[in-house]
Amino acid sequence: MKDPPASKRQVWAIAGFALATLAVAAAVGNSYYQLVLTQVLLWAVLSLAWNILSGYSGYFSFGHAVFWGLGAYTVALGMIYLDLTPWISIPLCAIVGVIAAALIGYPTFRLRGHYFALAMLAYPLAILYVFQWLGYQEVTLPMKRDAALLYMQFTEPRVYAGLALILLVATMLISLRVENSRFGMSLLAIKQNEPAAEAAGIDTWRWKMQAIMLSGALAAMAGGLYSVVLLVVTPETVFGMLVSAQPLILALFGGVGSLWGPVIGAIVLVPLAEVLNAELGDVLPGIQGVVYGVAIIAIILYAPEGVYWRLKDRLGRRRAAMPRPALHKQQTAVSVVTLAPARPAAEGELLVLRGIGISFGGLRALDGVDLTVREGALHGIIGPNGAGKTTLFNVINGFLPPDRGNIAFAGTTLTGLRPNRVCRLGIGRTFQVVRAFRRMTVLENVIVGAFVRARNDLAAEGMAIAALERVGLAERASDLAGGLPTKHLRLMELARALVPRPKLLLLDETLAGLAHEDLADILGVIRQVQRDGVTVLIIEHTMQAMVQLVDRFSVLDHGRLIADGTPDEIVRDPRVIEAYLGKKWMDRVAVAGT
Amino acid sequence: MKMRFTIRMLGAAIVLALVTAPASTPARAQTKDVKIALIAPLSGPWARQGQLMRMGADMAIDEINQSGGIKALGGAKMVLVVADAGDSTEKAKNAAQRLLAQNPELVGGTGAWLSSFTLAVTEVTERAELPWLTLSYSDLITNRGFKYIFQTSPTADRQAAETVPAVLDLAQAATGKRPKTVGILMDNTASPVSFAKPLREGGLEKLGLKLVVDQIFTPPLSDATPLIDKVRSARPGFLLLPISSMPDNKLVLEKLDEFGLSKGRIPVVGNGAPFGSPELKKVVGPELLEGLLFSVADWGLKGQEDIIARFEKRTGEPWITQDSITAYGDMWIFKEAVESAGAAERVKVAEAIRKMDLKDGPAAASFPGPIRFDEKGRRVDVPLIFAQWQKGVPLTVYPTDRALAKPYWVTE
Repeated sequence: MKDPPASKRQVWAIAGFALATLAVAAAVGNSYYQLVLTQVLLWAVLSLAWNILSGYSGYFSFGHAVFWGLGAYTVALGMIYLDLTPWISIPLCAIVGVIAAALIGYPTFRLRGHYFALAMLAYPLAILYVFQWLGYQEVTLPMKRDAALLYMQFTEPRVYAGLALILLVATMLISLRVENSRFGMSLLAIKQNEPAAEAAGIDTWRWKMQAIMLSGALAAMAGGLYSVVLLVVTPETVFGMLVSAQPLILALFGGVGSLWGPVIGAIVLVPLAEVLNAELGDVLPGIQGVVYGVAIIAIILYAPEGVYWRLKDRLGRRRAAMPRPALHKQQTAVSVVTLAPARPAAEGELLVLRGIGISFGGLRALDGVDLTVREGALHGIIGPNGAGKTTLFNVINGFLPPDRGNIAFAGTTLTGLRPNRVCRLGIGRTFQVVRAFRRMTVLENVIVGAFVRARNDLAAEGMAIAALERVGLAERASDLAGGLPTKHLRLMELARALVPRPKLLLLDETLAGLAHEDLADILGVIRQVQRDGVTVLIIEHTMQAMVQLVDRFSVLDHGRLIADGTPDEIVRDPRVIEAYLGKKWMDRVAVAGT
Repeated sequence: MKMRFTIRMLGAAIVLALVTAPASTPARAQTKDVKIALIAPLSGPWARQGQLMRMGADMAIDEINQSGGIKALGGAKMVLVVADAGDSTEKAKNAAQRLLAQNPELVGGTGAWLSSFTLAVTEVTERAELPWLTLSYSDLITNRGFKYIFQTSPTADRQAAETVPAVLDLAQAATGKRPKTVGILMDNTASPVSFAKPLREGGLEKLGLKLVVDQIFTPPLSDATPLIDKVRSARPGFLLLPISSMPDNKLVLEKLDEFGLSKGRIPVVGNGAPFGSPELKKVVGPELLEGLLFSVADWGLKGQEDIIARFEKRTGEPWITQDSITAYGDMWIFKEAVESAGAAERVKVAEAIRKMDLKDGPAAASFPGPIRFDEKGRRVDVPLIFAQWQKGVPLTVYPTDRALAKPYWVTE
């Protein structure tokens, strides 16, 4: 979450950019330069639209030409067959873009990473053939000599630049708004760690669909205006590979995932390509492509993340060199540990698992697991490696649908719900390996978890700060998560799970990999959480710590629940001792008992 | 550190080169040159065709200037301004806009080879009232009500309407009987599609022909086997091949040979200049091409012997093709138009072209039929040209009065 003044500064920067562009448009008389300016602005819109989906969410699209082309054909065919003016059909393009994006996103978001990118590549290429088959090889916008204004056919090329500028400024403002809202934050969370985002209650599916629909709408409008400028639409020009590559190249050059990156890319590369075509095209045909490629390679060597991030890092370093206010000495939650021991479990049954089974191929990861977690309990699950502990959590919070059995939580059936739904019902979780959003600050990491409950983004921030205070991490709020030590990462994850005020907290080996002195802090926080009325279900290896912590144990072995009871009962249960704890442990208990 | 320095220097050098390049173009204000534009693909997949156009235009410009320039303007020289249409409609349009912005004294132009490019370029030139000549076939070009576009080729519709009857006449003259069946094997790009549409929609029926095999593919073709297999089982009297790209032509012709259908077992008729290109001979070989007929807008004609000889000597090309001869002729049309307009002004030159009626001279010699345009900007009384591969050279065989060789109908 950027603080409001930063966002306001951006709005001023956009306004300044718009005025500068207008000044350039007014100063340049040459109609060719006007045309190039218009193209710069339009390609910038496409690249920004691409950035809303691919830059923020990390789902790279190699197929944005599909939206661009549909927009172009909407305007061209609308004018030819329905006599529709571009003043109406360009806004209509937005609807076409949204529908196309929905149809494309629905099946394609089942894929991730490279698979998604490659699948996107197929859409424009496939639709290119469809338009060829339909007989739209060459479509020209009819010249309207008597109603030129009505049909957006101006003799003054500045008007086109002006229209493109309006579209670009609108797209920039939309991007800015996305970037500074839970929308953008959720997309960033998805980019960095999709399962964690989902478990933190972010409806990743919904945000991804919204992102591609918004992106498609903007790209289609730009394509529509492009056809008005070019006046000739052919499948190759609007659905071709080069169109899909263009927004990628511009954004990669300028800086992916930033508001200004695609704009910088368009301002530099589009005129560069044109100048090269103009100056070298008739002298050494083809050399323009070589020089263009070399320029891009040079930039990638010099600024691999794009020009914008390079500049920002430079300025950032200069700022970082200035003395920073010293951080408060880290406050720990030690004080909590000394407080009264856990209160006994309440009566009600919060989570009830009946006959849960799941298999991976021939392996039965869970087999008929019955488990009851009482409200207010601090319930531990132990078992050797591969016993199915994490699988059990994945089944409870919805990552894995169970093959058999059902799960009831506070009277509601959980079976078949997606993780973000489960989170909304009041189940938070942490992960065995901390799933942090590494390029976000600690506070932002926790805010992501607050979206489920918070009415607005400000409330989310307040809730996040409260949660950070609760785990004793408030001083680190503005640090980047990527640089934190394990203990703080665990606390941050705990805060993220706590911020939507869950009724049940699933902790997956939260104590693993901690130094002895850190252990006490974390244990203290967990006890405090329980005292605050949150039921805790915890998986652990560290038997010793667990015996101190929990008031009830369940033991898993080979996917089966082999014992259930108080710590005292469990450590004396011969089955448990045999299956898991071993003889050595029994001896120690025996010695301690005498 | 050294690497970074090198990159910076490289970047600086590029920027410097780009900034200074436009300034170094010498101003030619003192002599009143008559500037004519050529926009053609000089890079990308159609670069070769653009080069051929440029060769023809350059030769015409040199000849015009060597013979005293434009007499009506006191021997003013004609200057060719060239721009690369590249590989996309956007680049072609940008090229047109740039030429016009940087050369306000431009009098006319020709291009841009591919009909999509021509459509985009003429959107710009029409608004600038710049007379524009083109060899592109598409009917759309002269169907938009534009006033400054002149199409020297018979349009695609006409070519489609005239190709098949002419083939039937040829067959009858050679064998005494008319084929009863025909096959079409084509790609789905713009010009084959517009060529084949009227044939399918009743055109063939009227000629008493039955369409026994009709195959459309999306280029590039990876394997012609299934297509040729259908042709073999249907055994049409002849096969029309409106295919626009060389590699696809090669595949189809070689596959026909492999199936034992070449060398006249099924006579093949193509459409468009690529069927007569030296490159096709290089990749397919003269044996497979022997007897292949194709219709085209312009080709080496009787009466052009001098031009052809000069062209072959000057460029080292084995023969002249449609692209070179039309670009050559276009320059002469502009020369004649400026002469009769008496001024290097666009609107007057356009008017002169509209009134033009040339039957001799280099301009008229370059094209079949007279240089006369109707109100749409299409040339009137234009016969369609047929050329036939004979002993490794595509020679014009029809119409008879401009033919350089006699046609023969290949038979088993």
